[in-house]
Order: sequence, then structure tokens, then C-alpha cells
Amino acid sequence: MGLFSKLASLLGIKKKEANVLFVGLDNSGKTTIINKLKPEDAQQHDVVPTVGFTVEKFKNKSLSFTAFDMSGQGRYRNLWEHYFKECHGIVFVIDSTDKLRFAVAKEELSMLLDHNEIKRKRIPILFFANKMDLRDSVSSVKLSSMLKLEDIENKPWHICSSNGLTGEGLSEGTEWLSREMESAIKQQN
Amino acid sequence: MEQTCQKSSVNAAAVEKNKKDDVRQRCERLHKNIAEIQYQRHSMGIDVYDDFMRYQESEHRQQLEKQQKYDAKQLMKFQERMDIHLGGHFEFVDKPTKHFKFEFIPNGGGNPFHNLEKSSVLQEARTFNETPINPRKCSHILTKVLYLINQGEQIGTTEATETFFAMTKLFQAKDPILRRLVYLGIKEMSKIAQDVIIVTSSLMKDMTGKEDQFRGPAIRALCSITDNTMLQSIERYMKQAIVDKVHAVSSAALVSSLHLSKGSQEVVKRWVNEAQEAVSSDNIMVQYHALGLLYHIRKNDKLAVTKLVSKFSKHSLKSPYAYCLLIRIASKLMEEEDAGSESPMFDFIESCLRHKSEIVIYEAAHAIVNLKNTTAKELASAVPVLQLFCSSPKPTLRFAAIRTLNKVAMKHPAAVTACNLELENLITDSNRSIATLAITTLLKTGNESSVDRLMKQISSFMNEISDEFKIVVVQAIQSLCLKFPRKHNVLMNFLAGMLRDEGGFDYKKAICDSIITIIEENPEAKEAGLAHLCEFIEDCEHTVLATRILHLLGREGPRTPTPSKYIRFIYNRVILEQAPVRAAAVTALAKFGAHCEELLPSCVVLLERCLLDTDDEVRDRATFYVNVLKQTQKALNSTYILNGLQVSVVGLERSLHHYTLEPSAEPFDMKSVPLETQPMVEQKTVREPGETVSAKPSEKVAASRQDIYAEQLGAIPEFANLGSLFKSSSLPIELTESETEYVVQCVKHTFSRYMVLQFDCTNTLNDQILENVTVQMDGAEGFDVLKTIPCPSLPYNKPGTTYTLVRLPEDPQLVTGTFTCVLKFIVKDCDPNTGEPDEEGYEDEYVLEDLEVTVADHVQRVMKPNFSASWEEVGPENELEDTYALSTMKSLEEAVKQIIQFMGMQPCERSDKIPEGKSSHSLFLAGVYRGGHDALVRAKMAMTEGGVTMQLTVRSTDPNVSEVLATAIG
Ligand SMILES: Nc1nc2c(ncn2[C@@H]2O[C@H](COP(=O)(O)OP(=O)(O)OP(=O)(O)O)[C@@H](O)[C@H]2O)c(=O)[nH]1
Ligand SMILES: [Mg+2]
Repeated sequence: MGLFSKLASLLGIKKKEANVLFVGLDNSGKTTIINKLKPEDAQQHDVVPTVGFTVEKFKNKSLSFTAFDMSGQGRYRNLWEHYFKECHGIVFVIDSTDKLRFAVAKEELSMLLDHNEIKRKRIPILFFANKMDLRDSVSSVKLSSMLKLEDIENKPWHICSSNGLTGEGLSEGTEWLSREMESAIKQQN
Repeated sequence: MEQTCQKSSVNAAAVEKNKKDDVRQRCERLHKNIAEIQYQRHSMGIDVYDDFMRYQESEHRQQLEKQQKYDAKQLMKFQERMDIHLGGHFEFVDKPTKHFKFEFIPNGGGNPFHNLEKSSVLQEARTFNETPINPRKCSHILTKVLYLINQGEQIGTTEATETFFAMTKLFQAKDPILRRLVYLGIKEMSKIAQDVIIVTSSLMKDMTGKEDQFRGPAIRALCSITDNTMLQSIERYMKQAIVDKVHAVSSAALVSSLHLSKGSQEVVKRWVNEAQEAVSSDNIMVQYHALGLLYHIRKNDKLAVTKLVSKFSKHSLKSPYAYCLLIRIASKLMEEEDAGSESPMFDFIESCLRHKSEIVIYEAAHAIVNLKNTTAKELASAVPVLQLFCSSPKPTLRFAAIRTLNKVAMKHPAAVTACNLELENLITDSNRSIATLAITTLLKTGNESSVDRLMKQISSFMNEISDEFKIVVVQAIQSLCLKFPRKHNVLMNFLAGMLRDEGGFDYKKAICDSIITIIEENPEAKEAGLAHLCEFIEDCEHTVLATRILHLLGREGPRTPTPSKYIRFIYNRVILEQAPVRAAAVTALAKFGAHCEELLPSCVVLLERCLLDTDDEVRDRATFYVNVLKQTQKALNSTYILNGLQVSVVGLERSLHHYTLEPSAEPFDMKSVPLETQPMVEQKTVREPGETVSAKPSEKVAASRQDIYAEQLGAIPEFANLGSLFKSSSLPIELTESETEYVVQCVKHTFSRYMVLQFDCTNTLNDQILENVTVQMDGAEGFDVLKTIPCPSLPYNKPGTTYTLVRLPEDPQLVTGTFTCVLKFIVKDCDPNTGEPDEEGYEDEYVLEDLEVTVADHVQRVMKPNFSASWEEVGPENELEDTYALSTMKSLEEAVKQIIQFMGMQPCERSDKIPEGKSSHSLFLAGVYRGGHDALVRAKMAMTEGGVTMQLTVRSTDPNVSEVLATAIG
């Protein structure tokens, strides 16, 4: 069964659904961002470090998202791969103030891109350079060159600065992601 | 719709027909097979006959006929059942090693999960990964997975982990049924899959979420995947959940806490305030669970538990379940304190007899009846309650009451006879479990004349009750047999009948156990019992039972009046069974050859046929036995066939290991291996019928107490070269009176030339610490005290050990002596609260009781299954004989007991049991004397007016040993 055939079959019947995997190091702000994307009444007040994963749902104008919010702590990162197979898009969140660990983030990213389930697929990847509000944050341009994003082959990618607390930059990112995922669907047809 | 209905009924008819055809075919095959088997048997019989059993022809033919009849009957029985149960089919299992075996396999009576296959179900479970989720389909598949796990299907870690992660994707679906199945799935798989903590956050979200119906189950699932390291992170949520206003949530949190506390008592202890709050909940379940947790947290603190009971017994709890728990706690406390009816706990329990809830009343009555110190006085209040329940219209109450009475029937017969009228009514109860318990209860308390009537009643519905209750009946019969030895015929036949019926392993084992016990207790029942067991192994699918019975036949068969009749049964096993049974049969055959001269040639012929067996063990055994038997030497037969290995298996393993570690030119010396220690008192507990059968003693080869001592002593460098430990005295000897300042017990460890005295000391003064503690020993002639190993420090209430090493006298005849003992130490006073000792101490001493070294300390008990063979083996060379008048002994029993104790030897051939009404008796004792000399004692005793006269004959491989033993009594 093709990757997007399920998705495609739903075209036009109901709002299209897509599985999106949220990964990135711990404390980067994945859960905070997802929380902000959820409808206001479903938002949580306090966000605690994730253990394992949770599933959340949210929508934008064109798509219905099922987000797998993975835990970023070192000992749980090897569990991400269990969720690679079914995802239609990946969101990689980086704490743009955590310069010390950029190298770690880069390492995790290249392992992700190199994974069998991901390698040959044209899955769009969205990068959030999160915590843009903090003074010592690195700009998205600088971050993208530090992570060598331009080396990514065969996958559309996009980076934007974000603020998980206020929601700034989030819609720009998700708009891009849904466009990419939709066009992937069209290509399939 | 209608169409499909019709179609399915047509299908059903076809299926039915197919089934009938199937059954017919199977029957035909069965017939054919049985004919074949009979032919096989027959030819085999002729074989046996030709070769060596001419004189047995007629008996043999009878046996064959009997067997044929039995086979035919079996077949008919099965056919009958086939007709009744056309809803199923017979599976014919034709094992090469067995004659035949067929099982009835029902179709599963509409169970949609019948015939599920693990691999295909797990394959289906991959559906969970698909998006979007189809909740109905996934629920169905997940149910199948759960069903398989609950059926005991083993799922490997990799498979389980894959399925588990697929299942985690189902968290996307909001469907409540599916979600709750996922919780169950998590719980079931938490122990078999890896990385199950992956669902932690998801569960925590549900546990704190808005959906009340998710919260409780999420808590339970969460606690099943949480280990100690994660516990802290969920602590806050657990505390909140315990006091949640939703009862289901609170209950789930309480019960989960209880489970968690098994791993980490410490964290859960911190939730005591929340638990306390939950006890006052107005929901009966929450209250019960909260009390349970509270008790669990405090259960190691006796004072706190006492307070708990007295507080809540006054407080009037709302929940009857909580009351029941409180009653249990109270009776446990009474048990621990060895308290009687004067205890306030008892008042509480008794007051519960007047509670308005039946379950509380029953719990109280049950507790009182089962109290250790219950007397007629306490029973007087509880028994009427049970009596009333016996005639209740509710079957649960009748069952509970009769079960309780059944259990205590032996202990409190009076209580039970008071209910006889009610019990008689229950005999015909439509609930067979109740009827079984009623009858077995009556059997236990009734007299000999009622046995026949009750047995008849039982046999009328024996095939309607479950194995578990059949075992109750078996045990009742066993105790009856021991109570009324004269009835053994009726009862034994009944057991034999049960042995022929269908039944699982536990049931069959219980029957065999009972027959064996009866044989051992009652020599008159021996031949009949052995015959029944012989018949049983002819068609026994349980290897354990078959080998056990073969072992018994080998031991007992040769000594019956007609040993030859067992040979055929044993040799049949060699032909038809699997390797372990064949090996056991070979050993049994060898025993007949070794014991019965007239059967020797035949046995050798039979054993020679096993020399080419496909199994190594069988072949080796046969080769060994044939060679030993051909020597025709009594001594060899006794040592290598009839009386077997006498060393401790654990000890042998250790000695061999040691030997391989330190290679030496000398061959391995069996004498250096510690002997197997025989338990002092025979620990045969005649199991109370109705007691849980599950509490089986472990059958593994356990390290004995002495093996443990040997290891402890071996670890002390000073004792490293004493040689191997020969004997440790069985019960510690008290050298102080109870409740003194210091408590000292002594264990004597005998080596071939030394003795180590182990003194276990306890300091019961909380304001003192003793240091450099030793025991000074003096006064025994010929014994040299060589060394003491002090106990460096003896703080309050922490036992410590000091050792004294003694060289035994050179004179081989000088083996007994009395030591005076003084405990020497340095006292340091200390603060009772902190245990902080003073800098300075002072020397002090404390006089202990005298310590005796007796003859028994030099002798290790050894079991000789065939005493007369050993007696011949040792021979009359060093025989000593003397006659004694034991004027102080008032009975033969007393004399037997005293002599065993004096000699420290093992009674053989059950000669420690004196048949009732006998005025003379022979006691056979066996042992090994220090240094590895076999020692045997035969004591012929007769009761006379002036006490007991005894002729004592001692045989040994060493003249000095005979001398020592012969003069031990004097
Ligand atoms: N100042 C600032 N803080 C943020 C922003 N986004 C997240 N945070 C904070 O960063 C911390 C970590 O956020 P989480 O959402 O728990 O991070 P996570 O990536 O889910 O971490 P793990 O679950 O451990 O993998 C929280 O204290 C957030 O309040 C942001 O844009 N600006
Ligand atoms: Mg998170």
C-alpha cells in the first residue's frame, strides 16, 4: 500500500488527515508548540517533559493533523523509529538558544534522515528554530547553515523561527507543511 | 438474511455429517489399533513366556484377558461419549512409545476464538499501524491478542514488542471501547514487551484528562509499566488520584499503589495520608481498598497494626469488605501473638458474628474456627453460625460453611458432629461441590460403620465433579484408610477405580500418593496396592508417576511372596515407554535380580535385551546392572543395586567440582563426600483433605541444612583443612535458659578427627555491646581445645557466632565427654537509643550449661532401603551382641525412641513403627560412623513385666565402631 494512498482516498470526502511526527531534543519545545496548535479549549496549562510519546490532534484550514509528540530525552530517542513508517511529515524542533547541543541535534537529524524508513521517501521536513524570543537565540538562517540543511537530498524542507509560548511563526510553518503534504498526495495520483 | 440462515443450517447439516463420518472412521481406526496392540501384547507375552516364565502361563493368560476386557470397556466408554458429544471430535494420538491415546476435543461450543493461531493473530495486529484507524476492526483483533495471552500462549520478546508498538498507535483513536482494550493490552504485555514506558505520557494524559471512564483504567495500566526509577515522576498524580472524588479513580489508584509497593515500599509509604483520607470515603469499594493499602504500608509495624484494628473496629466502617479485611488482620495478629479469647482482638471478631452482613458474619466465624488456640468455648459462638449457613437457601453460603467445617473436621470433630443433621441433608445437595464436601466431612468424623454407606453415595456422582473435588475425596479416603485399617479393601478398590477413570495429572498423582501412603502404613494393603499401581502404569501418560511407581515396585516387589508377577509389568515398560520410564524400569528389574535368586537368570536375560537400547542412560544402566548381577556377590548387589548412593547430591557436586579444580594423582574418594542427611523426624504430613493442593513441597534437590553449614565453615580459613564435614547436630542445643541476658545455642560439627562447636549468641541487653566474645571449654578427658574464633562484636539483638575447635581423642574407644562452658567477653556500656558505646570496656564472663558429646555425634544417619541385604553385606566379622534389661522403659515405643536417639542412627524398613498390640519387636538401624565405617544395629525387644528386654546386635566394618556402639547403651 502506497504511503499516501490512504490519504488520497480520503480526498474530497472529509478534511484530509495527515500524520506528523514531532521530534527534536528534549526541552526544545515540541509539546509546547503542539499545545499551542490545539484549539484553545483543549490546551493544557502546564507542560511537563514527555515520557515516551503522546498523540494530539489539531487542524488548520486545509488539513487535519495527527501529531505524534515524541520524547526528546536521550534514552527515548531510539524509540522514534517505531513511528517513522506511518508519518506523512516530520517536524524537527530545535531550541535555538541551546548552542551547546546543536551538534547533538545535527547528529540526531542525520540518523533520522539515514533511517531505512525515511531515506528513500520524499517526506517534507519542517524545522522550527524555536524560542526565538530569547535574547541569545540564533537566527533561522544561521541555524540552517549550522545544521547543514542544504545538504538534505530528495526531501523538501523549510525552516522558520518560532515561539512556542505565543504561537508566533507556527502557522507559517504548518501552512508550508500542509502545502507540501498535499502536493505529495497530488503527485501520487 | 433468511437466505444466509438457511445456508448456514445446510452447512451445519453437512458439517454434522462430516463429523459423523469422521467419528466412524476414527472408531474404525481405533478398533484396528487396539487389535494391533493386543496382538503386540500377545506376542510379547509369548516371548516372555518362552524365555523364562513357564510356570506363569495360566496367570499370564488371565492377565491378558483382563487387559482385553479392560480395553474393550474403555472403547465402549469412549464410543458412548462420542454419541453424546457430537459437538466435538476425537483426536487420535498414536505415539510410537504408547499403545494408544485419544482425547475428546470439543468444538469450543460457539467460542469465536476457538482455533486461533498465534502467528496469524500477530500478523493481523499489524493493522494497528494503518491510518486512519478502524476502531471496530482493531478492537476485534486486540481482543484476539488478549485472548491468546490469557490462554497462556507464549509470545517472544521481539514479537511482543512489535505488537506492543503497533498497539500504541491506537492512542490516536478516541473510541472508548478500543481505548479500554488498549489499557488491558498494555497491562498484559507490560511484562513481555520491551520499552513499554513509551506509553507513559499518553497514560498520564488520560489519567488526568476529562474522560472519567479512561482515568481509572489508565492509572492501572500506568502502574503496570512503571518501575522504581519512574515512580517519583508520577507520585504527585498518584496522590491526587487516591483522593479523587470519582470512586473508580480513587479505587484504581489505591489498588495500583498496593501493587507498586511490592517493588518500592518506600515511595508508597509517603502516600499514607492520602490513604487515610480515602478510608473515610462513603464508597464501600474505596474504603476497602484504602484500608488494604493502609494495612499494607504498616504491616511490618505490629504496634501500628494493633492501633489500626482497634481504631477501625470502634469507628464502624461502612464497607462489609473492609470489615472482612479487618477480621483477617485481627486474626493474623492473634496468631502472631499466640493469643486466645482474652485478647481484645477476639472480642472484635466475635462482635462481628452479630454484624448485619452475611459475608462479615461468615468471615468472623471462619476466623474463629481457624484460630490456632480455639477451644470448645470459642467454638460455641461460631459453630451455630456455620450450622445456620449450612441450611441457607443460598448455595454460596452453604458452600462456604461446609468448606470451613470440612477443613477443621479433624481438629474439632465435636464442632462438626454438632452439625451432623445439616451435613446429612447436604449429601444430596444439587451442587456437587457442596455434596462432596459434606460427604468427605462426614467421612472424617464418622465411624467405621458409616464408611460403606457414604462411599456408595459418593460413587453415584463421582464423574460429575471436577478434579479439584475428586482430590478432596481421594484425601478423605486416604485418611480413612489410616484411621480404619480394616477397611482398606473397600477403600483401596475405590481408589483403584478412580485411577482407571479420566483425570488430570494432579488428580492421578493424588491417587498414587494415597495408595503409596496406605501401602506404607498398612502392610496388609501392600499386595493389593502394588497390583493396582501395576495396572495403572500399563496405561499411564505421566512419566513422573510411572517412574515413581517403578521405583516403588523395585523396592517393595522383590520382598513380596510372589515377586515374579511384577516382572511382566515392569518389562512391558521397557518395551513400550519413553526413555526416562525405560531407565526406571531397568533399575527396578535389576533390583528383582539382586534380591531374588530364583529370578536372577530371567532378569539378566531381560536386562541383556536393553543393552542395545537407543537411549544412553537406559543402555548404561543395563550394562552396569548386568555386570554387577553376573558377579553374584551379595555385597556388590547390596551396595550397587539395592541400597544405592548414600551421599548428598549437593555435596557430591561440590566435592567433584573441588576435585576438578585441584587435580591430584589420587582417585576421587567417595568417602570424602558428605553423606545425605536423613531428616530427624519423618516429615510426613498427612495432608488435610481440602487443604490447598497447590502448596506442594518443592521437588528439586535442595541443599540440606548440613550442606549450608559445610559451606559456611569452609569459608573460615582456620577450618579449611579439617577435611569434609561429617555431621552437624540436628537441633541446636540451648546453653542458656530462655529470657536471660545472653542467649547461646550450640551446634556440633563433627569432622573425621576434629569437632567444631558453633555457638550462636544473642545479646538481649540494649545498653551493652559485647566484644571479642568466645566460649571457653574445659574438662572433657582426651579432648583438646585447639582454637577459638571470637565473635568481634555482639550488639543488642543482632545474633553473632563464635567457634571453638576441638581435637577428638586418639583412643578410638573414647568418644564421649562433658565440657563445662563459659562465655567470655568485653562489655562496653552504650546508649540504648543511639547504640553509641563507651570508649572503655571491661572483661566479664557468663557461665553456660554443660555441653555433652555423645555417641550420636559420631554417627550419621543413613537410609538402607534393603536392610537385610546390607546386613549380609557387612557380615558377621565384627559382630557384637549383648542383652540388656531396660527397666526404666514402660513401653516398646519408648524403648525404640530412646535407642534411636542414643545411637543417632536411621531406622530402616519402617521398623520404628510398632504394629498395634505387639509385645515384641525388631528395630533395624543403619548409619555411617565417623571415618566412613558402615554401622548396622539390630535390636530385638520384648515387653516383660520388669520393663523391656533387648538383645542388641551390632555389625560394622570396623571392630572399634562395633565396640563403641555396643557400649553406647549402658
Ligand atoms: N522562552 C521560550 N520558552 C519556550 C518556548 N517553547 C518552549 N519553551 C519552554 O521550554 C521548556 C520545554 O518545553 P517542552 O515543550 O516540554 O519541550 P519538549 O521538546 O516537549 O521536551 P521533551 O518532551 O522532554 O522532549 C518549557 O519550559 C517551555 O515553557 C519558546 O518559544 N520560548
Ligand atoms: Mg514534550
